[in-house]
Amino acid sequence: MSDPATTAAAAQVFSPEDEALLRESLRRCSPATLEAALAYRQGKDAKHLPAVVIGIIERFVDPELRPKLATGEDDLRLVEDLGIDSLTMMEIVMMVEEVVQMQINNEELRNLRTVGDVKTFIDCKARGLPLPKPSKFLPIEGIAAVMPIQPPFLFLTEALVGATSATAKYKISGQEFFLQGHFKDNPVMPASIMLESLGQLGVLYLLEGHPPEAGKMVGPGTIFFTSCEGVRCHRVCKPGDLLSLAVKPKRLKMPLATFEGSIRVGQEKAVVVEEFTLTFGYVEAAAPLPAPVTEAAPTPPPAEPLRVAAGT
Amino acid sequence: MTRVFITGVGFITSIGNDAATVEQNLRELRHGCIAYPPFQKPEVPVKVAAPVREFNTEPDDPEDWTLPARYRVRREVLRSLGPNTLYAHCALQQAIADARLGEADVSNDDTGLYAASGGSPSILARLVNRMHQHGVMKCPPLGIVASIAGTVQFNLVANFKIKGASTGFSSACASSSHAAGFAFDEIALGRQRRMFVVGAEDGNVETILPFAGMRALSLNPDPDTASRPFDVARDGFVGTGGATVLVFESEAEMARRGVTPYAEVIGWGQASDGHNVAISHPEGAGLAAAMRHAFQSAGITAAEVDYVNAHATSTPIGDISECKALRTVLGEHAARVAVSSTKALTGHGLSLAGAMETGFCALALRGGFTPGSAHITHLDPLCEGLNIPRVTTADAPRVVLNNSSGFGGANVCLVLRRAS
Repeated sequence: MSDPATTAAAAQVFSPEDEALLRESLRRCSPATLEAALAYRQGKDAKHLPAVVIGIIERFVDPELRPKLATGEDDLRLVEDLGIDSLTMMEIVMMVEEVVQMQINNEELRNLRTVGDVKTFIDCKARGLPLPKPSKFLPIEGIAAVMPIQPPFLFLTEALVGATSATAKYKISGQEFFLQGHFKDNPVMPASIMLESLGQLGVLYLLEGHPPEAGKMVGPGTIFFTSCEGVRCHRVCKPGDLLSLAVKPKRLKMPLATFEGSIRVGQEKAVVVEEFTLTFGYVEAAAPLPAPVTEAAPTPPPAEPLRVAAGT
Repeated sequence: MTRVFITGVGFITSIGNDAATVEQNLRELRHGCIAYPPFQKPEVPVKVAAPVREFNTEPDDPEDWTLPARYRVRREVLRSLGPNTLYAHCALQQAIADARLGEADVSNDDTGLYAASGGSPSILARLVNRMHQHGVMKCPPLGIVASIAGTVQFNLVANFKIKGASTGFSSACASSSHAAGFAFDEIALGRQRRMFVVGAEDGNVETILPFAGMRALSLNPDPDTASRPFDVARDGFVGTGGATVLVFESEAEMARRGVTPYAEVIGWGQASDGHNVAISHPEGAGLAAAMRHAFQSAGITAAEVDYVNAHATSTPIGDISECKALRTVLGEHAARVAVSSTKALTGHGLSLAGAMETGFCALALRGGFTPGSAHITHLDPLCEGLNIPRVTTADAPRVVLNNSSGFGGANVCLVLRRAS
C-alpha cells in the first residue's frame, strides 16, 4: 500500500534510542503491549495497533476492572464500564501519541465512548483514513423519540449506534405484560421477543446510523421484519437479567438490510442470530439535511456546534 | 460561643507514624534526624534532615513510590498527589479512625477541612521543565493540582468527600497554626460542627535545600546535635516533612458521639511583626502581641499557663526573639512556665510545624507530661530567665500555648487546655 502517511512514517528510522524510550514509556504495560508497539514502530503495520491501544488503556484501568477489558468486547464503555474519566483519557492519549507517534486533538476525543471507538479511531489515524462518524448514545427517551415502535413493545432501554454496529441494553423488569402468561407461575422472556428486540436495534441502526445511501433518509414507517436464519437460544432469560444486544450490518441495499445479531447476559451467550433481514424504504427529508459533504472537502462541517471546553 | 475539642489525631512524622510512637518519642526525647542520603554530596554543605520513615517518595513517578502496607492509595488518586498529600492522606485516615468517625461524620455540610503546605516544588519543577522541553500539551494533566500550594486540600477534600468549609493557608511556618486558628473560629462561631486541620510538607531536597541559600539551615553534620534550639552552638534548623491531622469538634458533637477528647482548644491569637520579610523582630514584638491576643481570646492570664511549645527552630536569631517575647508576656511567671522546642526531635516542618506541634500538645495534655527541650549542652545566655526543661517530665500541664512564626513576620499562638 502506498498511502502517503504510511510511506512517510516507514521512512523514519527506529533507532535503539527510540526503542529504549519506548520500553521506558511502556514499562507498566503488559509484555504483549510492548511487543505490539515494537512491531508497529518497526514495520508501521496498523494491524498491531489494537493490541497497543488496548494495552495502554489496560495500564490506566484500575486493576479490579481489568478483567472486563480482557474480554475484548468492542462495546465496553470507557466511562461507565472501565471508570476512565476525562483526565485519565488525557493520560491514555498522551501515551498513545508518544508510542505510536501521532497527534490527537481534544475535539477528536470527544466522541470516543467505547473501546471499539478507540480502536477504530487510532486505526483510521494511522492509515490516514477519514474518521468514522462517531457513535451516538441514545437513552430511552432518545430511542422512543425516533422509533416507530413504542412501549410497551419497545425492548431497548439505552443504545449506542456506531458506523458499523449498534449495541443496546434491556433489563427484564418482570413487569412486562406477556410474562404473566409466559409461563404460568414461571416468567421467562420469550425467544420470539428477544429476536424482536434485535430487530428493533436493526431499525434503530437504520434510523440513527449511516443511511445505506448518502443523503437519503430511511422512513420510520417503511421498516418491517422479513426473515431470519440460524437462530439459536443458549440461555433462559428471566426477570432481573440485563440483556446486552449487539447487531452488525452485513448487507445494506434498498429495500433490504441484513444484520447479524447476538444477546448476552453478562459474559453468557443467550441468543445468536446468524442473519436477520429488514425491509425498508426512503422518504423525502422533511427537515433540511446538513450540507452535503463532498469528497474534496478537507474538513466536514461539524454536525452540531462545537461545545466550549468545560471546567476551569 | 461553642466550645471546641480535639477528638482525634493522625501523624506521619520523623518521630513516628502513629500517635503512640510519637508520644513515646516525646517522652524519651528520641529524635528523627539522620544523615540524609540525598545530601551526602560534596557540593551540598547541609548533611542532616529528618525524613519520614516507611515511605519512599523519591522517584519521579508516583507509581514507583512505596508506602506502608496498611495504606492503599489507588492510581487515579495517587496521580494528583505530591509527597505532602500522600502523608496527609494517611494521617487523615488515622485521625478519622482515632476519632471514631463514620463515613457520614466525615462527609456532610457541617464538616470542613483547612490545610497548609508549601506545595510540592519538586513536582512543579518537573512540570515546568517538561513544558519547556516537550511542549505545553505534553505535561501530565494533573501536574498543577499535584504541585501548587493548595494541593493538600484539593486532593483531600475530593478524596474524602468533604462538603463543609475548605481552604488552605499560606503563611509559611505559621500556616497550619493559622489553619487551626480559623478552624477553631468556624466551630466557635457555629458555622461548622467539625473541622479537620491538616499540615503537610514534602520534606525532600526541593523543600529543604532552598533554605540553605538564606543561611537558615544547620551545617552541623551530626544528627544527634544538628537541631538544638536554645543551645548557644545552634547554627540553623534541620528540615523535615510529613503530615499531621487534628480533628476539631464542637462540644455538642463530641457529646452526641460519646467520645473522649485529647484536649480543649480555648482560643488563639495572631499578630504580625511589620518588620522584615524573613527575619523575626529583634524583640519578638509580633509574637508577644500574638500571645497577648491569644490570652484575651482564651480568657486566661500568664499565671494559668503551664507549658509553651515554642516555635524555636534552632536558628541563631529566631530563638532569641522568641525568648524575649516569652519573657515579656510571661513576666513574673517566666521562671515557672515550662518552655521547650520539640523541633530538637523532629526538625522544622515549615507549614507542617503548627499542626504537628499542636498535636504534640494534645498528646501532652492527655498523657500528663511536659515535653523536654532536647540537645541543650550549653544554654544560650540570651535564653536565660526562662524555665527550659532538658528532659520530659511527668508534670501534667493544664494550660498550654503553641507558638508559630512564619515569613513576613506572621505570628500565631494557640491555647489548649486539659479536658476535665
